[in-house]
Amino acid sequence: MKPETLPADANDPIITVRHMTKHFADFEALHDINLDVHRSEVLCLIGRSGSGKSTLLRCLNFLEQYDGGEVRMGGQLIGWQDGPSPRKPLPAAALRDQRKNIGMVFQQFNLWPHYTALQNVVEALLRVKKLPRAEAQARAEAALQEVNLKEKADSYPASLSGGQQQRVAIARAIAMEPKLMLFDEPTSALDPELVGEVLNVMKKMAAEGMTMVVVTHEMGFAANVADRVAFLDSGRLVACVPPAEVFGTEPADPRIRAFLQTYRERNVV
Amino acid sequence: MFISRDWKFGTVTFSFQTIFHNLPYLIGAARWTLLISGAGMAISIFLGIFVCAARISPGRGLRRAAALYISYFRGVPLLVQLLIFYYMLPSIGLNLPAIAAAILAVGMCSAAYTAEILRGALQAIPAGQTEAAHALGIAPFWLWARILVPQALRLGMPSLINELILLVKVSSLASVVGIGELTRVAQNITGETYRPLEIYISAAAIYFVINLVISVLGRIAERRLQVG
Amino acid sequence: MELGLYLHYGPALVSGFAVTILCWIAGSLGGMVVGFAIASLQHWAGRPVRWLLQAYIEIIRGTPFMIQLFILYYGGPYVGVVLGPVEAGILSFVVYGSPYFSEIFRSGFESIPKGQIEAARCVGLGEGSIVRRIILPQMLVLITAPLTNFVIILSKETAILSVVTVPELLYQTQTMAAETFTYIEPYVALSLFYWLMVVATTWLGAKVEARVTRHLRRA
Repeated sequence: MKPETLPADANDPIITVRHMTKHFADFEALHDINLDVHRSEVLCLIGRSGSGKSTLLRCLNFLEQYDGGEVRMGGQLIGWQDGPSPRKPLPAAALRDQRKNIGMVFQQFNLWPHYTALQNVVEALLRVKKLPRAEAQARAEAALQEVNLKEKADSYPASLSGGQQQRVAIARAIAMEPKLMLFDEPTSALDPELVGEVLNVMKKMAAEGMTMVVVTHEMGFAANVADRVAFLDSGRLVACVPPAEVFGTEPADPRIRAFLQTYRERNVV
Repeated sequence: MFISRDWKFGTVTFSFQTIFHNLPYLIGAARWTLLISGAGMAISIFLGIFVCAARISPGRGLRRAAALYISYFRGVPLLVQLLIFYYMLPSIGLNLPAIAAAILAVGMCSAAYTAEILRGALQAIPAGQTEAAHALGIAPFWLWARILVPQALRLGMPSLINELILLVKVSSLASVVGIGELTRVAQNITGETYRPLEIYISAAAIYFVINLVISVLGRIAERRLQVG
Repeated sequence: MELGLYLHYGPALVSGFAVTILCWIAGSLGGMVVGFAIASLQHWAGRPVRWLLQAYIEIIRGTPFMIQLFILYYGGPYVGVVLGPVEAGILSFVVYGSPYFSEIFRSGFESIPKGQIEAARCVGLGEGSIVRRIILPQMLVLITAPLTNFVIILSKETAILSVVTVPELLYQTQTMAAETFTYIEPYVALSLFYWLMVVATTWLGAKVEARVTRHLRRA
């Protein structure tokens, strides 16, 4: 479990989002988002499907181009060149440099099926970090150890269970030693009995002090592991508060109450 | 032995002896057939990857150029392309030996088809794999070299095998510019022996066997390459 | 470019184009008819016939068109089949195209769910009506595009007929090139003619496709 008091440097945000907006053609997917994520913090994004939580997450590493506002990491504007509008996207190489510091785990794992688990992890270490092969190999093995999959290093994704594939995907991301990890519904594509093994790995990462932003439908994880929970509705950030304020007492905002109600009903059955 | 004598059906004779005597020459000539189709396929795949990449690149000029390349090489008969390479390039000062003209014509034409095969295969690769690479900061070159192309070649394998079989067949066109490949040698032998039926049927049989071997090997390779 | 050359060789080129079109259309139609017969036989005939037809398909598809043409044109007289170049060209097109056409038709036959045919038998339709009223209209939808594709491929194979002195387009072009020592002019004309053919076929294919899929569109 996380300590009650945050570490001293926790006030210094790793990533700051200011007045961010995102449109898909005429549809406003995100409206004036303001958000800080602090070092070693676990922030869970919750909300109905279509509320914009995945879009928000994908804007943080510029997989989606946000149109207005800013996302900054260590003072650096993510994705865009700093300057007067209309601003230009960063050159591809500069964007890649920024992304090195942001790991991402997808709903569909997105492993490369023609490589073994180990090769999946090694690839970016070789091509992006440009480590020598032996060192990349050693670091990849350590990352697989971290997610308890060392013995599956030579298996191809197709022979792994969904939970194992997702843990390889996590290993692939953490091997790059990112400052921030993004999770886009990491357990939504898994059979129910496989969800636990992935959440356990994520809990362990949180306990070790990794900064994490997690889009999830696992309310138990949000309640127990998150430092703060952000609730999105129709592209707006409604609340960003400690989990107790969402799950403990009756939340003030009717939209959050309605959202949680559907979960309670399902759990009763 | 039955191959040492001739068969007679009424007035028609079928001379196995002619076949028996000339088979070694035909088989020798088949090496050129293999060279043209093999080297043509290598060019086809190498060039096809670039044409395919250009065809789906974000740059509009590149996309147009690739589309033009594909429509030209698919729209004009290969024999015409070959004659253009052989006759027209020298007239603008580019002198190619006949064999190079043949390999180049076959390879460049086939690259247009290979590019489309690869484009189809790429569409079967989930976009998430590319996203994962982007999220890790993998550069486009490595994305193509390590993730997209190897998978596209595997997924497109059945079509690429077909393409190779096609190249073995179209290599016969090289006879027109005087290369001593299987068809040309068959023509020459026919000129000496006046037994076109026997000789051309033998040539057809050799083509057939080559293609049979390719398709069997291709099927084995396909099974091997299915990982996991 | 010397455009004056076209005045002199224009008629020859146009007549070559006409021969090309003749061989192409006659060969395509013949190939389709034979291909349809093969596909039908493969569907309904017994095992030995099916096996023979499959062998025919594999052999024709595994050998170059040029060799097939040579066997027919040069070898034919030795077994009493004497053909002029144009006849040999058309016949070899029929032989060469039929297996490809038959495979297209076969895939069309196989695309019709068995249940539909059973249903037709249950309401008492004869085999002939089943083919005409149930199978054909539906399979035409699926096979129009591949048929058009292959007909376009055949249009390009016509160039090979020049090798056995069929006076088609490429033959006339080569004659023009040889007599005038020019290459640009003849081949530019040649490219235009082939391009015209591909465009016309594509257009026609789209028309046919629109016609056979009209029941799939909303009113």
